[in-house]
Parts: sequence; C-alpha cells; structure tokens
Amino acid sequence: MQTWKRLKNDPKLWQSFFLREKIIKAIRDFFYQENFHEVETPLLTPRLIPESYLNVFKTYLSDRAGNKTRMFLTTSPEASIKKLLVAGIGDCFEITKSFRNRETGSATHHPEFTILEWYRVNANYKDIMKDCEELMLYILKRIKEAQRTLTYQNIKIDLSPPWEKISMFEALEKYAGIDFNQITQNIRGNDNSEMFPLDKIAKVARKKGYEVAKNNSWEEIFNQIFLNEIEPHLGTDGKPTIIYDYPKPLAALAKTKKDDPRLVERFEFYIAGLESGDGCSELTDYYEQKKRFKSELSLMKDKNKTEVFPDEDFLEALKIGLPNCAGVAVGIDRLVMLFADASSIEDILLFPLAAN
Amino acid sequence: MAKITTSDFQKGIFIEFRGQPHQIVEFQFVNPGKGSAFVRTKLKGVKSDKVLEFTYKSGETVEEIPVNVREMQFLYKAENKLVFMDKESYEQITIDKSLIGNLSHFLKEGEIYQIFVHEGEALGMRSPKKVKLLVTEAEEGVKGNTVTGGRKTVILETGVVVSVPLFIKKGDIVAVDPESGEYQERVSQT
Repeated sequence: MQTWKRLKNDPKLWQSFFLREKIIKAIRDFFYQENFHEVETPLLTPRLIPESYLNVFKTYLSDRAGNKTRMFLTTSPEASIKKLLVAGIGDCFEITKSFRNRETGSATHHPEFTILEWYRVNANYKDIMKDCEELMLYILKRIKEAQRTLTYQNIKIDLSPPWEKISMFEALEKYAGIDFNQITQNIRGNDNSEMFPLDKIAKVARKKGYEVAKNNSWEEIFNQIFLNEIEPHLGTDGKPTIIYDYPKPLAALAKTKKDDPRLVERFEFYIAGLESGDGCSELTDYYEQKKRFKSELSLMKDKNKTEVFPDEDFLEALKIGLPNCAGVAVGIDRLVMLFADASSIEDILLFPLAAN
Repeated sequence: MAKITTSDFQKGIFIEFRGQPHQIVEFQFVNPGKGSAFVRTKLKGVKSDKVLEFTYKSGETVEEIPVNVREMQFLYKAENKLVFMDKESYEQITIDKSLIGNLSHFLKEGEIYQIFVHEGEALGMRSPKKVKLLVTEAEEGVKGNTVTGGRKTVILETGVVVSVPLFIKKGDIVAVDPESGEYQERVSQT
C-alpha cells in the first residue's frame, strides 16, 4: 500500500515523518549559528566527476530547436560546491537531493535520496569530525531535549563527545588480525598497483576463507574483509565510531597523508552500526586529481559503466586553486532512520520507490 | 551442484558456504561508501541451525545445492522429528524440528506441504503463506474490553496459542500466517 494511503488510514504514522522536518530545521540552525552560508547547486548537469563505483541517471536536455544535449543527475553536490569554494564563498553547506542509479534492494539506500554536505575552509578532516560530534548531539537535544543517548534497533548509543576514534590500520589489526603492511607495499610508488599489490591481499583473503577471482580489485577484496569483519564493530559499543585514514584505493576525493602515501585523510562515522557520514580533508592538488580522473574513467570503461563526460570545469577550478578545506556528506535519510528507529529507509520516505 | 552468482540469489534457496549447506534467509545489496557493490546475506545452517551473516562481492560465484521440491503429506510429530510421506510412493522422510523452527507448531496432520529434498535428505520445507486451523479453546470475549486492545488469546488444534479478535469462538476456523504466527482472518464459524 502506498505510504500516503497508510497515512490516511493511521494518522499516528505522521510522527516519524514530522521528525525529518525537525532534524532539517536543527541542521540549518546549527550552521547559521556557525555563520555558514547555505547554497543551492544544480541536480541536472552535463558533466560529472568520474566515480567508477557509482551508476548514474542520464537524460537529455532539448533546446527550442530540438537539439539534444546529454545530461546527468548529480550523485552529490560536491563538484559545484568546490567551484564555489574556489570562487570564495567560505564555509558553506547544502541540503539537497542526489541520485545514484541501481541502488535498489537495500534497506539503507534509495536511488533518490537527501544529502547534507558541509565544507570548512582552512580546516582539515579533524575539524569536520568535531562538527559531526557537535551536530549530532545538537540535533538530539533539539528533538529530545535533555537527552544524550539515542536507542536504535535496541542498541543504546551515547552521542556526547568524544566519540570512539579508530584508524583503519588499528581496526584491521584489532578486528581482522591483519597488519596493513601485509597487504601493501610502503614505497612512494606513482601507481596504486605498486603500493597495493593484488597478490599480497589475495593471499591474506584466501587464507581467511574468502574467494578471490581473477578480476577482483584490491579495493573489492579489502572492502569484503572490511564489511564482514570490521564494520559490524563500528558504532555498536555504546558510542558512535569514527574510522579514519583510509587506503588510497578507497580515496575518493581525499587528500593523501603526508607521512604515509598509502593513506588518505578520509573518515566515516557509524552510529549503531549505520554508516551515517563520509568526510575528508579535500584533495586540492590539480595534478593528483587529474590522475584520479584518468584512472576512474578507465575503471568505468572496464566495468562497462554509462559513459560520463568528465567535469573539466571542476579540474580548471582546482587548477585555479581550491583553498585548503575539509568537508563531509551525511545521509539525511539515515539520520531520520536513526531518530525514528526505523529499520528500513522506506519507512521514513513519504514516497519510497518500492512501495509505489 | 551448480555454480550460481549473487545475481541468482533468492530467498529460500540452498547454497554451500564454507563447505556446509545453508539456506538463504535474507539478502540485500550494500555499498561501502563509494565502493563496489556487495550482497549481504543471512544464512541458516542446515545442519547447525545457526544463523550467520556473510557479505559476498557482487557477482561472486557460489555453489547452489539444487533441491527437489516434493509434495508430501504430514503424518505425525515424534519427539524432535516430523514425518512426511509421499502419497504416491509411500516413501517416508523425516525432518528435524530444528530445520523448520516455529513452523512445526502450525502444521496439520494429513495436509500436503512442499519439502525441499537433496539426495534423499530433507533440507527444509516451504512455509505456506497461511494455514487454516481449528480453534479448540477460547474464552468468551467480553465486549468493550479495550484493555487488551480488542484481542484475546485462543488455542488452535496444533496446540499453538494465537492472539485473535474478540469475536472468534471455539469451533471457528482461522487463517494464520505461520511465519509471524499472526491471525489473518476467520475462514468459517460454528
């Protein structure tokens, strides 16, 4: 039954939807108090930052004469916001919709979803981690007044800072019994394949009982170990967990660590086992970004992904100069799930695709 | 044994995991932040009856344990086993109660059910969407009793206790969802 029909039959159900309003209002107030500007960037774009792991929605724009231009729906507002950062907007945030094709059949994904991104200039990922701690507690206090704990699916989490912080290196050791040096080569290689030899991680994975096929990448094998052995421990032990310093194959748009070229300054935070945010010290190096564009595009070709036109405008902005900054993307639907104690994203959407 | 991939996964099929037969209870797609696609499954051990979670890489190959779905009549329950019979061959097969869990409380003797058989061994059975059972014991429902939310408990012919609306009486036949144990509707009344 469509959600709107269920709401008509049982008005009590409106409560979890009204929670979304309260959360978004709290988020806006938090950032206004911090003197951030709120921006609004396009959902329809002719060019995207190539990301081989994402699947895109494509469409066509017709002009009055009927001439067509290929367009895409954005998978995140990041590219546009970074151009604004280059233009000098300063600290800013955006609450908007993003689109990721093929993300069906999951209790925590929806192809059209609501995303919050915020960026601080002259800051690094540690400053953003602090924002995450403060923002979540602020939202909770606005919804439940004097409370500091939230209960999600019978897991009680105390949101007060400081949260548990663990590096990927430590987590690998602690939960998977793997030494990062066993699966990497600590050399200043120009190529990911030198620092991340496939045979090294395949050996460790096979020993643990995982199957490794010829076409599996270092990232895939790593993530399988991460999802099975590390993730279940994150944010489930009384406090949220921030896991930081990711291996380069999982870099996205994060800055490489100065003292270890195998790692990037990226973090994610988990609350009651739900991955709620993904942030980093932003990559500002034009040459490095250009290299990553190239390798992503080639990976996309290998995987037969929809051809996207790379955002050259974004590269130009980086060339002109992105100020040192850090940012994060938070799933607003995930936050609503947490505060409404909903086990599925469909329970907190007014028009979830599956139900309709 | 046949090799399948994660895109062939269906709830209820049997696969080999770490050398042991398991049934896929649930599965869903997961993406680590900006990473490849994976399939998180909940697997129930056929021999161990333990439920575990395992995340496969999307496209990973797995051995499927092909099962024959056989229509068999439920004869009787004996200790921890349920005995079924093929009405045509008179062949009997037993299923361990642990393989079907709560479902055993809703099975009616003489009824036909679908049993999953692999190499002569029963691995499980298909849960019917609803079962129709006789109410053997029921108290008179007091009208206006809203303390219990307009519900009362009754006992069905298999001995199971179910929560039903107040108008259900002894002798009625009710339909119940065996997976949740919840009352669905009254099928006939005395």
